[in-house]
Amino acid sequence: MNSVAPPHRGRLGGFFGAFEENVIALILALMTAMTFLNVVLRYGFSSSILWGPEVVEYLFAWLVLFGMSYCVKITAHLGVDALTSLLPARGQRITALIAAIFCLIYAGLLMKGAWDYWAPFANLDQTTGRWFPTGLDENTRENGWYETRFVPMPDLLRFVEGWLLYDGDPPFQKLPRAIPYLILPLGVALLLFRLIQATIAIVRGTSSSLIVSHEAEEAVEQAADKLAREERT
Amino acid sequence: MEVVVLFLCVITLLAVGVPIAIALGLSSILFLLVLGDTSLASIAQSLFQAMAGHSTLLAIPFFILASSFMSTGGVAQRIIRFSIACVGHMRGGLAIAGVLACMIFAALSGSSPATVVAIGSIVIAAMQKVGYTKEFAAGVICNAGTLGILIPPSIVMVVYASATDVSVGRMFLAGVIPGLLAGTMLMIAIYVVARIKDMPKGEWNGWSEIWNSFVDAFWGLLLIVIIMVGIYGIPGFTGAIFTPTEAAAVAAVYAFLVACFIYRDMGPLAETEDGQPRSSVMHKPQALLTSFVHADTRRVLLDAGKLTITLMFIIANAMILKHVLTDEQIPQRISESMLSMGLGPITFLIMVNVILLIGGQFMEPSGLLVIVAPLVFPIAIELGIDPIHLGIIMVVNMEIGMITPPVGLNLFVTSGVARMPMMGVVKAALPFLLVLFVFLIIVTYVPWISTWLPTSRMGPEIITN
Repeated sequence: MNSVAPPHRGRLGGFFGAFEENVIALILALMTAMTFLNVVLRYGFSSSILWGPEVVEYLFAWLVLFGMSYCVKITAHLGVDALTSLLPARGQRITALIAAIFCLIYAGLLMKGAWDYWAPFANLDQTTGRWFPTGLDENTRENGWYETRFVPMPDLLRFVEGWLLYDGDPPFQKLPRAIPYLILPLGVALLLFRLIQATIAIVRGTSSSLIVSHEAEEAVEQAADKLAREERT
Repeated sequence: MEVVVLFLCVITLLAVGVPIAIALGLSSILFLLVLGDTSLASIAQSLFQAMAGHSTLLAIPFFILASSFMSTGGVAQRIIRFSIACVGHMRGGLAIAGVLACMIFAALSGSSPATVVAIGSIVIAAMQKVGYTKEFAAGVICNAGTLGILIPPSIVMVVYASATDVSVGRMFLAGVIPGLLAGTMLMIAIYVVARIKDMPKGEWNGWSEIWNSFVDAFWGLLLIVIIMVGIYGIPGFTGAIFTPTEAAAVAAVYAFLVACFIYRDMGPLAETEDGQPRSSVMHKPQALLTSFVHADTRRVLLDAGKLTITLMFIIANAMILKHVLTDEQIPQRISESMLSMGLGPITFLIMVNVILLIGGQFMEPSGLLVIVAPLVFPIAIELGIDPIHLGIIMVVNMEIGMITPPVGLNLFVTSGVARMPMMGVVKAALPFLLVLFVFLIIVTYVPWISTWLPTSRMGPEIITN
């Protein structure tokens, strides 16, 4: 039940804390603005930005896949604490540790999956093995030339062409898929990192759980304080 | 049977405190790796496609954002004032006004715990001041707060619609009559109790107070109108204007403008900490620009973002579970064995009722829905149950699960807000819980209540969006 975010440690921690929060706020703002803009264009100017909806969908994926690690950091993921809250403190710590190990297994498996999915789009090698990466598969198909449906290719990103395209390939008309899909391995790696941190915090005893039981948990305390104040007056 | 193992695995993981999303994802991954021939790469792909391939689910972040801008204390206060002006003069009036306020706020916020927190923190204190017991006040708000997920726009309904591929617009319309019915039944029950126990009644402040409070609350109420008219149009005047996703985005922009420039509860024009009163745009024209980057705006965006992430992480992992269920044809097999045992729709619905009532006690509604819906939906279709009707039944079940002792979620929230022991809230909520139980039975066995409005407005067949 401790949903209080740990204080940002040091200058670097503070910078990354603010960076994560700003990215989340910014992505959500961009998604809303883009969708709203297309509605305005449709009714006001009988036109639309063709690539708008596709960009919003990718931003949505970026929001969630980038943010899932942040929510581990601030202990915001929803779970069921009805049973564990009945245990004594020692039991709670043991179950939290077991839960953390399962989370690490999940993130580890997903890390391999995320890499294997993204690698062909970036002309990199997939890993071999079914459960664990046992090596690199040099026969991975190189799908770097795959493009998104409508998103135009900004000239700023032309430098990736040398890496994703071969001699004789036409230059990218649309954004290559490797770029929006990049968040998959990136987000899962961050998730794995934050879960390792959270596990260490449980081992050290500075944190007692990975979950909150509902989304308004922080607000309940504030509301209770407010109510108590009103009762006194 | 493998499905039993799968679900036992999910439940065990949940019980030790693994986040819902990871419990779903890990169980499904293990299941697919052991029994199927799916690769980890394609599992990662379904996680990505949950967001990038579902334009229906896009409505969720926008609805959450709109309600975050709208669920500030200022808006709750205005809605409560309007409710008291309307019904406060009746016997038990303040309690009835509390229910009305919860219904209106539910339509803005779409979340039950949020409704209890926002309305409860104001109304419980007000009720105590005029002589209600704290227990009664808490019991009323605890029950009325559950209407949040039934009255549209509701995030839980968007989740149901995307999990089962029914239209969001239809689900919203289907929630209107049941939502009003549940609210009315609660109000009547309170009125009867108030008559018997001779509870206090407020003063009638005249139509002018109704009008004034309405004008004050108007901008908040208009949000509901924008969403509903946007999705359905005005009968005989215009057709649908937006898709539900667009309506949600428009609502979010509208809510931002209202919160910053009309109500000025947040942003550069709001009352400052050192007591400077709200300022006007005329005096601070730079606010037109600074409000976009103001700390309050960033905070609301971050809060809405956090909630979106936690919900969508669950839903994305539930997509992997759905992948398992479809691959193994589990629902089909269950429905075959159910049909061969001679079980009919009624028995099936009772089973769904029981599963959701138990599950709803432990788990947040969206999370429960994404687990149960893909399993029961194909069976229900096989048995000839209307998908919209099933959706409403599931939503009402979870509402009641949230206030069913011993561990309903809303009971916890209410006992936290009111600083009361759980048992006190349970006892206080019990009489009204019975009312909602009667309501559940009506909704379950009278499909007409849920299906009439969407069918008459949008035609009988399913329109996919």
